[in-house]
Amino acid sequence: MTAFVVIGAGVAGATAAAKLREDGFDGDVVLIGAEEMAPYERPPLSKEYLRGESGHHFVRPPEWYAEHAIDVRFGSRAERVDVTGRVVELEGGERVPFDQVVIATGSRNRKPPIEGLDLPGVFNLRFASDADAIKQAAKEGSKAVMVGMGFIGAEVTASLRQLGLDVTVVEFFGTPLERVLGPTLGGAIEALHRDHGVEMIFRDGGERFEGNERFEALVTKEGRRIEGDLAVVGVGVEPVTDVAGEDIPVDNGIPVDATLKTSVDGVWAVGDVARHDHPVFGSIRVEHFDNALKMGEHVAKNLLGTPAVFDDAHWFWSDQYDANIQMAGFATEWDDMVVRGSIDERSFSAFLLKDRQLLSTFSMNRKFDVRRSMPLIASKAHPDREQLADPEFDLRQLHPPKE
Amino acid sequence: MAEWVTLGPAAAVPEGEVTAFGVGQREVAVANVEGDLHAFDDTCTHQQCSLAEGELEGTTIECPCHGSQFDVVTGEAIGGPAVDPVGVFETKEEDGELKVLVDEE
Repeated sequence: MTAFVVIGAGVAGATAAAKLREDGFDGDVVLIGAEEMAPYERPPLSKEYLRGESGHHFVRPPEWYAEHAIDVRFGSRAERVDVTGRVVELEGGERVPFDQVVIATGSRNRKPPIEGLDLPGVFNLRFASDADAIKQAAKEGSKAVMVGMGFIGAEVTASLRQLGLDVTVVEFFGTPLERVLGPTLGGAIEALHRDHGVEMIFRDGGERFEGNERFEALVTKEGRRIEGDLAVVGVGVEPVTDVAGEDIPVDNGIPVDATLKTSVDGVWAVGDVARHDHPVFGSIRVEHFDNALKMGEHVAKNLLGTPAVFDDAHWFWSDQYDANIQMAGFATEWDDMVVRGSIDERSFSAFLLKDRQLLSTFSMNRKFDVRRSMPLIASKAHPDREQLADPEFDLRQLHPPKE
Repeated sequence: MAEWVTLGPAAAVPEGEVTAFGVGQREVAVANVEGDLHAFDDTCTHQQCSLAEGELEGTTIECPCHGSQFDVVTGEAIGGPAVDPVGVFETKEEDGELKVLVDEE
């Protein structure tokens, strides 16, 4: 009987395993995950879960896997995919045979070169247990130092403010999220946080965490000393490619073709770890929830049928305070930005174009525009600037006809 | 006990559109799919956003906040982060008025 083995039980891996069953596959499905807990979604960890407003959002109910005859190995770390022997080697020596294997090992948090990272009171956020630890330390009225103001940093900062902590942010670039969004949109995020009482220090970075047994202050590269009761580090992630060994090529993640297949027969990769050859954006690696979910669903279909191209336009959200932020598409550079609505009033969408092609849409509190622009991004449309800028213009009018 | 509540004129929800109506303490969304009216709980089970502000495609409504998808006929969560279904209600048109069958709260 055919055996499909999925390595990594985050959203991408767990979804892939579940979808195989839901799409009617009745052979062996093995799901291997390093965490003990049943697969859960990470977006709430920096938001409602961190604020104590929700419990875990499980990918499927914890008992679902056994009920659907999925052989789960939670709390079990895969060490290597043996391509020649067609087995996955687990820590402790067990060997799990496969016909096809899906690598969904995700990413791990980058460790910046700051002294004292291991000091108690200095936190990271990746696992539910990390969120629990931050929550426990985050007492109302205490003071937090946030290192890094990417999406995770911005969301954790917002949640900590909402819990009643004072927050000081240290960010290497000139605005939050400047590297991803540019200074104008980064400035909009900055204004949002400033209006919520966050102190932000830009163009500076952490040098060392100081404290007697426990975190007391961050000393920055520019010589500032910022005291606090806890610190959180959020400076990005890197793909976890350890299982690739020497048999599976690695280059900023595990490269896969448009259908999510690696260059090695029977080996696929999805989620954060997959560097995908996207039909619109070229070679990209995406670290967002929706991509993990969609790639997980897609690879299950490809394992069971004729492999199809994964062409999702990409989309994610970020809730900060009462602002709903969404972004679609993928743009590392653009030569034109068209804004509809008002950045100052925090109700706007920004369309990022290159050579007049719409690559990405960012919005704050304008929920319609992002989703409606996705068919335009996917079809490589060259929309009219005036129509983009007109808040009354319905982008659906520009959608390509349905097949 | 369930009772029929009048929401407004039947023409209030044009084809392909979704509109939310206040019914007692709750919001009920009504979707018009090719002339058939489907009523469901307007509040997304994921993060409580209004589903009526989302996109309707066939019988699928997509939450505008986080992309959860529900079948407007069955209420089933069929995509995105939501897991729990939304409630659905019977509808009827009577004397040009749109009515839904809801439980008293």
